[in-house]
Amino acid sequence: MIDRQLDNILKRVEKPARYIGGEVNMVRKDPADVSVRLGFAFPDTYEIGMSYLGLQILYNILNQDENIYCERVFAPAKDMEELMRAEGRRLFTLETFTPVNALDFFAFTLQYEMSYTNILNMMDLGGIPVKREDRIRAAEKGIRYPLIIAGGPCAYNPEPLADFVDVFLIGDGEELLPEVCRIYGRVKEAHGEGSAISLRDAFLSAIVGLDGVYIPEYYSVSYNENGTIREYVKTCEKAPERVNRALLRDIEKVEFPVNNIVPFIDTVHDRCVVETFRGCTRGCRFCQAGIIYRPVRERKTDTIIGLAQEQIKNTGHDELSLLSLSTSDYSNFEDMATTLMGICKSSNVALSLPSLRLDSFSFNVLNEIQGYRKSGLTFAPEAGTQRLRDVINKNITEDDIYDAVRQAIQLGWEHIKLYFMIGLPTETYEDLDGIADIARKIMDINYEIRGRKGGRFRITVSVSNFVPKPHTPFQWEKQDRPEDFISKHNYLSGKLRIKGVTFNYHETNTSNLECALARGDRRMGQVIMNAWKSGCTFDAWTEYFDAGKWVKAFDEAAETAGFADGREMEDFYNYRGYGPAERLPWDIIDSFISKDYLKNEAAKARKETTTPDCREGCTGCGMNRHTECFVNMKAR
Amino acid sequence: MKYIIEFSKTGTICYTSHLDIMKVFKRSFKRAGISIAYSQGFNPHPKMGFAQPLSLGYWGLEEYVEFETAAADAASEPFAADEMLQKLSAIMPEGLTLKRIIEAPWLRKTLAAETTAAEYMIQIPDVTGRTAELDGAAIYENFMNQEEILVLKKQKKKPEPVLVDIKSKIRSLQFQKETDTAAKGQTLHIDCILDAGSESNLSPELLIEALVKRFGIETPRCDMDIARKRLYFKDETEQKIR
Repeated sequence: MIDRQLDNILKRVEKPARYIGGEVNMVRKDPADVSVRLGFAFPDTYEIGMSYLGLQILYNILNQDENIYCERVFAPAKDMEELMRAEGRRLFTLETFTPVNALDFFAFTLQYEMSYTNILNMMDLGGIPVKREDRIRAAEKGIRYPLIIAGGPCAYNPEPLADFVDVFLIGDGEELLPEVCRIYGRVKEAHGEGSAISLRDAFLSAIVGLDGVYIPEYYSVSYNENGTIREYVKTCEKAPERVNRALLRDIEKVEFPVNNIVPFIDTVHDRCVVETFRGCTRGCRFCQAGIIYRPVRERKTDTIIGLAQEQIKNTGHDELSLLSLSTSDYSNFEDMATTLMGICKSSNVALSLPSLRLDSFSFNVLNEIQGYRKSGLTFAPEAGTQRLRDVINKNITEDDIYDAVRQAIQLGWEHIKLYFMIGLPTETYEDLDGIADIARKIMDINYEIRGRKGGRFRITVSVSNFVPKPHTPFQWEKQDRPEDFISKHNYLSGKLRIKGVTFNYHETNTSNLECALARGDRRMGQVIMNAWKSGCTFDAWTEYFDAGKWVKAFDEAAETAGFADGREMEDFYNYRGYGPAERLPWDIIDSFISKDYLKNEAAKARKETTTPDCREGCTGCGMNRHTECFVNMKAR
Repeated sequence: MKYIIEFSKTGTICYTSHLDIMKVFKRSFKRAGISIAYSQGFNPHPKMGFAQPLSLGYWGLEEYVEFETAAADAASEPFAADEMLQKLSAIMPEGLTLKRIIEAPWLRKTLAAETTAAEYMIQIPDVTGRTAELDGAAIYENFMNQEEILVLKKQKKKPEPVLVDIKSKIRSLQFQKETDTAAKGQTLHIDCILDAGSESNLSPELLIEALVKRFGIETPRCDMDIARKRLYFKDETEQKIR
C-alpha cells in the first residue's frame, strides 16, 4: 500500500498508473530477505521503458536469485516530477516504493544518447549526488549512496558519462550483471560494519578486471594541444589496458523470461516478445548494433516455440513479436514461422514479424497473418542510389524493392514506408534525387497495376540524419552541419511533392547533439551537467528538446575543456572528422571487432566496394579470435 | 452463455483506468482459458463490459463485469462457473478481488442499460468553511433546502460549461462529522445515492463541487477520497443479482 503523500500526488498527475507497479507478474519479495537490492532504471517514461525487452530479461534473471531483489525505476513525467519536488518526495521503485537512495545499486540502461540528462535528473530526484567525486567524498564521511552502474549499447562509449557513473558494464548483461551483484553481496557480508568508503573500494577492486567491467576512476585522461586525447594513465594497477566487452557465448545458456510483467496502461509495445537471435552478419557500415552484438547467436527453434507458448499463457497478450536485427536471417526461419503461425492462430494471437526480407515465403506469411487488415510494408534502402548503397554496404538493389512492391500491391497492400538516411559519407544531391526517383517509380508501379487513379495507395518517405557511431567503420566520419541537413531537407521536400507521398524528417539539432554525445570524451560530461542544470530533460522528446540551452551548455563547458567556445567544441566532436591515428574516446573498450577491420571497411566505402554477408565466408572482423561464430545454427 | 462477476477494486490499483481494467479482465479470461464470444462484423470485439465505469482514483466495493462465453449454455461450458471464478481469482492483480460469479442467461440487455443508481462514500478531511459550526443534520438541511442546486457542467460538443440543477438526481444524502485524531480538523463523511446509468446520471464530482461552493470548503480535491459502495439496477435485474 502507498502512503497518504503519494496517494495525494497520484490524484493530481496524468496517467498515475505509471507510478504504482503491482502489474501482473511483478516480482514481490521482502526486502529484508535479500542481501542486494538493485533499481533497474530506464531513463525515460514507463511506457517507453516497459517496452524494452532487455529490462524484462535482466529483471527475470536477477530475481531468480533469492539474494537479489531487482526493482524498476522510470523517469517520472514532468507533471509528476514537479509535484515530487514540491512535496519532497524521492524517486522510488515501483515494486516497494523504496526511495532509490536506499538501494545498493541504481543501474541505468543506456539505449539512446538523448536520455543522458534524464539519468542525472533521476539521480537528483533520488537524493543522490550526480557527480561521482561528490559521492566518493560523502563515502569518506561515512554516507553510503547506491553505486551507479550503467550498461546497454551506449555504454560502448562510456566517456561522456564517466563523471557520473561508478561502474560501466559493457556487452551482454545476462551473466555479468548478476555476477557483479553476487560479488557485491559477498563483499558486503565480509565487510561487516566497516566504513562506506572501504566497502566501495573493496567492491570495486573485487570486480575490476572482469570482462565487461569499466571503472572510469581507475584511469586518468590527458589531452593534446589540439584537443585530441594524449593518453590514458591507469590509477589502479589491476585495471586492464582495454576493457573487454562481456560476451555471452551461447544465448541458450541463460534464462529468457516467460513471466513478463504485463503493464496496466498502454505502452509502446504491449505484446509477447521472443528474441530469436542476437547479432547480424550483414555488415552495414553505419550500423552500431551490427557490430556490438556480434557474433550471431541463435536460439533453437524448439526453444523459441516453447518460450512463445509460455509467454502467451502467462501474460494473456494478444500479440506475439519476434525480436532480432533481421527476422528472416534466422537460419530455420521458414519452419519456425510456419509453426508460430499455427500456434498464434489457434490461440487467437496476432503474429508480428518485423524487418522481414521480402521473398516469396515472407509474402505468403505476411499475407496469411495480416489478412485483409494489412499494415504498411516497410523498406529501408537507406540511400537513394546504388553507388551510395554500395558505400554504406546496404546490399539491397532497386530491383529487389520494385519486385517486392509489385507483389505487395498485387496482394492488396496500400501503404509503403521507405526509410532513408541523409548526410551519409560521400553523399551528393544526386543521391537525394535517387530518393525521389524511388518514390516516384513505386507510384508508377501502383498506377500500372491499379489503374490511372491508383486507389488509396500511399507512400511515406522517412528520412533520418546520419550520426556516425563509435565502433563502426564510419566512426571517424564528419557529420553534416545543421545547415547542410536543413538544405537537404528543403531540397527533398521540393522533390517529394508527389501526389500520395508523405515526407517526414527528423529534427536536425537533435541529430547533431546525438553525435557529440555518442562520440564525445570525458569533457562532454560538463556539457551534460550544464544542460541538465539549466533544465534540460527528456531531450529525446521533440516537445521538450531545447536547442538553445544546449548551445549555452557547450559555451559554458568550452573553456575548461580547452576550446575557444562552444562552437569550436561542437566542431571538434561532430564536424572535423577523427584522425585515423588518433586515440578515440571509446578505444578504452574492446568490442572484439578489430580496428583494422573497421579501417579496411572505411577504405572500401571510399572505393564504393561492398563486403558480402559474412555467412557466405568470413570477412575477418576479428570476432572469431574470441568465440565461435554461428552457435546453434542450422547449416545452410 | 452470459455471466456476471461481482468484484471490488481497492488500494493502489484504483489509479488504473476503467479501460485498463477492462484489458486486465480480457487478458485474464485468455489466460484462464475462458473463451469469450466476439461480436460479429468488420471489427469484432469481445462481448464483455462493466455495469458502470469507475472513475480514476475511486475505490469500488461492489462492482460488476458481465461477459459472454462462446458456449451456448452452462452444459456445454468447459468449466463450471465456480471453477471459472477460481481460475480467474488466482491470476488477478492485487486490489482486484473477485467475490462471486452469477450465471445470467436471463440478462437480455447489458448491465449498463440496467443500472439506475450508485451509492458513494465521500470523505473530506480537514473540512473548512461554514460546515464548522454545523452538525451533519444541519449541513443536510442547509444544502437540500436550496430550491435548486446549480453547478457548472461540461457538455459534450459544447465548449462552455452550462449550469445544471442536480437536486433531482440526488436520491439520498447523509452527512456525518468526525474529529480527526491525527490531523487538526474534522473529517466530513458523506454517504449518498445518486442517479447512475444512461437515463439519468450524476457524477459525485458535481455533488462535491456544489458542496464546496455552498459551504466554502477549501480542502483540495486531492485530499478527498471517494468509494463507490454499490450499484442499483432496475427491479428485475436487482432481484436476480442480489
